[in-house]
Parts: sequence; C-alpha cells; structure tokens
Amino acid sequence: MAQSGKGKLNYRCPSCFMRDLDIDMFYDKDKNEYHCIRCQYVGTEEDILEKNEMVRFRYRDAMKRFTKFDFD
Amino acid sequence: MDNKFIVNIIHRPEMVPEYAEKVTGHGKEEDIGRKALLTESLDIFKTQQSIAHKNGLKTTIQMTYASLFNDEAVELAKADHEKYGDEIALSLLGLPCKEFREKYKTKDFCIWMFSMEDKKSIVDDVFGKFHDRFGFYPESTGSYYMDADLVNYIKEKYPMVKCAVATCWEEGPKAYHTCNNSWYTFMDGGPWAPWIPSKQNVHAPAANEEEDSGIVAIPHLSRDLLACYDGNGSNFGTHPQNVLRGMIYDSKTWDFPYLYNLIDQYRDLAKYNNGYAYNMMFVGPGWMNKMGRWEAPYELLLKSYEDGMAYYGQLKKEGKLDDMTMAEFADYYRQKKTFTEPECALWRDILYGSDKQLFWYCDPFMRVCANMDQGGAIVDLRPYAAKLEWPVGIGTKHITDASYPFLIQEKYRAGYFTHYAGEGTVRSAKLTYNGEEVDLCLCRTKAHFSQEGNTRILTLDPVDIEFYNLTVKLQTKMYFEEGSSAIKIERNILEMSNPDAEVEINEYMVACYGTTEYTEDMSNITLSCTDGASSKEIKYEYKCREEQMQGATEVVAVVPEIETRVSLSCEKKAAVGYIKEGYAFSPMFTLGYTTKLKDKEVFATWLNLAKAN
Repeated sequence: MAQSGKGKLNYRCPSCFMRDLDIDMFYDKDKNEYHCIRCQYVGTEEDILEKNEMVRFRYRDAMKRFTKFDFD
Repeated sequence: MDNKFIVNIIHRPEMVPEYAEKVTGHGKEEDIGRKALLTESLDIFKTQQSIAHKNGLKTTIQMTYASLFNDEAVELAKADHEKYGDEIALSLLGLPCKEFREKYKTKDFCIWMFSMEDKKSIVDDVFGKFHDRFGFYPESTGSYYMDADLVNYIKEKYPMVKCAVATCWEEGPKAYHTCNNSWYTFMDGGPWAPWIPSKQNVHAPAANEEEDSGIVAIPHLSRDLLACYDGNGSNFGTHPQNVLRGMIYDSKTWDFPYLYNLIDQYRDLAKYNNGYAYNMMFVGPGWMNKMGRWEAPYELLLKSYEDGMAYYGQLKKEGKLDDMTMAEFADYYRQKKTFTEPECALWRDILYGSDKQLFWYCDPFMRVCANMDQGGAIVDLRPYAAKLEWPVGIGTKHITDASYPFLIQEKYRAGYFTHYAGEGTVRSAKLTYNGEEVDLCLCRTKAHFSQEGNTRILTLDPVDIEFYNLTVKLQTKMYFEEGSSAIKIERNILEMSNPDAEVEINEYMVACYGTTEYTEDMSNITLSCTDGASSKEIKYEYKCREEQMQGATEVVAVVPEIETRVSLSCEKKAAVGYIKEGYAFSPMFTLGYTTKLKDKEVFATWLNLAKAN
C-alpha cells in the first residue's frame, strides 16, 4: 500500500472539527478515502461533505441577518 | 452625537505565508525560497490591495522582513502609497525567509518568543532595512503579540512609532488545542478593542501618562466576544476566511451573513463608548492560497474577501464608516480617549440562537466579563491593577505564555458547574430560605447599559427566585466607576410573596490564579478578614479552613505570584465577612459576605483590585 497524500481539497476531519480540532486528513488513493490520523474517522469525499453539513447544527443563526444587538 | 465607526484594513506582502509552505509544499522538501511560492505570495498581496482600492478603502501596508528584499514588493508599496494614500508600515510578522534563516540560524518566527537580545537585534535589522528601502522609519508596526519590553525598546529607539498590532483577543490555550496542540500563541486576557498599553504589561492599559508606552495598540482582528471566548477564536472574527474556517457559510450559495452581523454588532458598540466603534481586518496571504484552504476552494476564499471588503466599502459610501491607516487611527484615538475611559461591550449571541448576552468591560485596572445567562455573574476577571511585569521569550520564565493571568476564568476553572466536588471560579450570590439555596448563576436574564457621570451602570432585568413557599423578585445592578479599580454590585429585593419573610444572601467570589486550564501552586496566597480593629488570617495550605467576622469591612486575598490584592468589601455592620481556603481537589479560595435581607432592602458589596506590594 502506498503512502497517503493530500486530496484535491485539503479536508479536515469532521469528527475532530466537532470537538474544536482542525486536523488535516490524508487521502488514500487506492481506497479512495480520507482518514484522520488523530481519531478513527475514515470516509469518502461524499461522506465528509455530508458530515460537514451536520457540524453546522450548532450555528442556528448563521443565515439570519441581525438588525438589533441589544434587548432594550 | 454622530457615531464614528473606524476600520483599519491591513495587508502584508508575506513572501512565505504561514500555512502556504506547509499546505502547498506537502510532499516536497522544505524550500522557503521556492520561486513559485514567492510569486504566488506577491500575487495574493496585489489581489488584496486591488480589492480594497476597488471599494474605495485605503490600507496599511505592513512590509515584512522578507518583502524588504523584494524590489517588486517595495515598488508596489510606494506606488499604492502615492496613488491611494496607503500607509507604508512594518510588520514583525513574516520574518521567515532565506536571509533571516541564514542570519539568525533559527526557525522561530514570533517576535515575542525570541530572547531580548535577539528581539533588539531583529528590530534594528528590520527597521534598518526598512529605512534603507524607503528612506524613513515606519509609524506603525505589529505582530500577533508585542510584549512590553519589545514595545519599550522600539519606542525608545524609534520614537516615531505610534501604533502597533499588539494582541490577538483570546488566542491562547483554545487556539493551541484547535491546532492539535501545535500553535504556541498564548495571549489570552487582553483588550478586544484599541487601547494605550502600559509600559509594564502590554495587555494592561496605561492608567496615566507615566505608564503610557507611547503607542496605541490595536487587536489583531475584531473578534466575536461570545463565540471566541468559548470556541476556537480563529473561526469568529472580522477575517472572512476565518468565518469559512468555522464553516459558518452556506455551502451551496456561499453566503455568510454572520460576517456582516459581526461587523454590525461592532458598529453598535458605539453607543457604549461615547459614539466610537472600531474594526480591524488583517488577512494574511496564506488565507488566499490558490490551492484553496481546507475544504474551501480558492474561488470561495477570493469571494469571501471581495464580499467582506465590499461591505466595508458600502458602509463608507453610506457615510457610516471611516477608513483610516493605522497611524491616522493612532492620532484620532489619542485625541479622543482619556486614560481611564473604559471600553464597554454589551454583546449578544449572533450565531448560535441562544440569545445569550455578555458584558465586557476593560480599563487600566481590570478586564471583566459578566454573563447575563448566569444572572450577571462575573465569569472572567483580569487584575490589570497589578500591572504585572511578565517578560516573555527565550531566557525568561514565560517563553511562550504571554497571557495576562486571571483570577476568574469560567472555562478554564469550571465556573458555576463542577463535577460532583469542589468549586469553580465565579463571582455570584446565593439566596437561602428555610434550608433551600438558589444561586443567581441559574437565573437567566438580560442587561441594559447606562452612564451617569463617570460611572457605567449595568442594570439587569429582575429575576424570580422560587423557594417552596416564598418567591423573591431580585434585581442586580453593577456599577463601574471610572478610575476606581472597583465594581459595586447591588442586589435589590424588589418584592417578596411574603413581605415579612427574611432571606439570607451570600455574596461570594471563588477565585484562584493562572493562565491555562491547569492549577497553579496556591501555597503563597494569604487570606484575611478585618473590621479595622482586628483581623483573622489564613495562610494557604490546602487545609479547607474557614474564618469569619461580623462587621468585617473587607475580606482579602493576596496572590504574590501575580502581585494582586483582591478583596470584597461592604458597609453593612450586620453582615458577616468570611474567607475560605480550598483543598487539593478544589484549589480555590473564596471571599464572601452573608447577611439577612427583607423586602425592599438593598445589599451592596464592592470587588476591589490593587497591586500587592
């Protein structure tokens, strides 16, 4: 098995991102999958993109435009 | 009064951008002189400059050491200065390049981490090289952090320097963890908005002319004062690509209203600061890498910068924004700000949908955060009154740790909630009645800001405290009197369901000291209470002891390691002051007062900070 490298985009581990860790993943071209070298996450690009949508759950107001910043 | 919202846009031609060599160079032997890397870096700088100018914004060009060896970078800076009025300044970021490595024989790149000898040598080298290229010395400089010894040296040798990027707000252990424990920038505990640093400690604002370091400091970016305090700071600031890093955008439309909300909330802070508000945007070229950055392709990186700058440009066109260079801003700030005038920010959550609200206060004596989601409890406290001299860099006791120490830090020292045993740091109050106890930390509320003379007042919405057979309506008010080095906290009993009832209130502060999550040795701390005539004392030995005194005028802790004397005081003779030592599993100390309160009564206590001599 050859060494892993960087993919076409440099994806972070979605599992680590959810615990506030930015960890670059590495790409295994033989298996067409990315893997995290810190935790146990392994996934295809499609799976990463899906999980990246999931990590946004906490930003409930990310798409809202605020016009008032106090509670007066 | 017309509000003034000022922005500093800063660009640096960094010939070897942080990240770029690591990212684009993966799989290659390290070569920071690679031509492709140098060309790309300069192209990014040109792109950034062009986007700002297209939107009618002037910039401060912070030349890096590496860029001073590049004729094209120097000529670009001169041309943009002539054409757009951009300031040509000098950054102490961007040191790495072949010339630097050969001369200093190190891969260190953070100026505050070098030995003092090297700091002087590098500063002279970089300032000298700048003078050689431009024929004058810069008026502005900066890094992610500038320690006091460094600033004092620069000001002594190059007195024309008037402005510096001097800290990155709450970049500390949280940033370290986010970077897999590999990013050694520990600089928690500083101001979030421009300030005049003291000669003793850059984080602590100067209280008077004698303490004035001679520069105006600006933070590296304007950070989200709620999101940044808890999460990874690098996701929540006026840095479009940081917002992408946090994945705070729609992955299909590439929209990111959060950035505009953040800018607008900063604009809104003018109402707490005599009509003035400030923003800073400083995107290093590594964030606009052609290879993309993490999951964001180059096109998105570019779009985010264009959109962010377009928003500032639109505000300027609407007359809602003044763009200034750093040096221009320093002149404006000096003319507008007094030494003791605080910086205030009543800040709401604009991201998570929680409606949480924090109040941040910063003056030459303290930096404080009160959390309205915890009944106005103080959840962060930095005793600037100590003006702690804290040299950093190789050869000092704090090689990388430039944070200003805390007495209270709810994230690093638990705050209200602990696991089964012990206590966390917080300044709050508990009410007891017939064996039941309620902490105000569990009473969520909102606050309103007002100012009377030189006192800033935070008035919290009343909260209901429900006991089994008694309901108490209580209102908290916090008073920050300019220059007093104290916070007065009033609890007003507005109403009781049984007007004849009497409740006990326990005003308390659990504290310790430190700069990280891990406990420090508490053995040198002394606790005492006094009524003016007599006193009781506990020398800290982790023995869980307590003392109390009726009519105590003050309960005190002296923390020699951070040269801080902190106390609670009250004027009510019937109140009982107490001190509590901690133990190994709860390495804290507690200062407090208890007293009985009836309907319509008010109880006031003061939290006082001073330098321990």
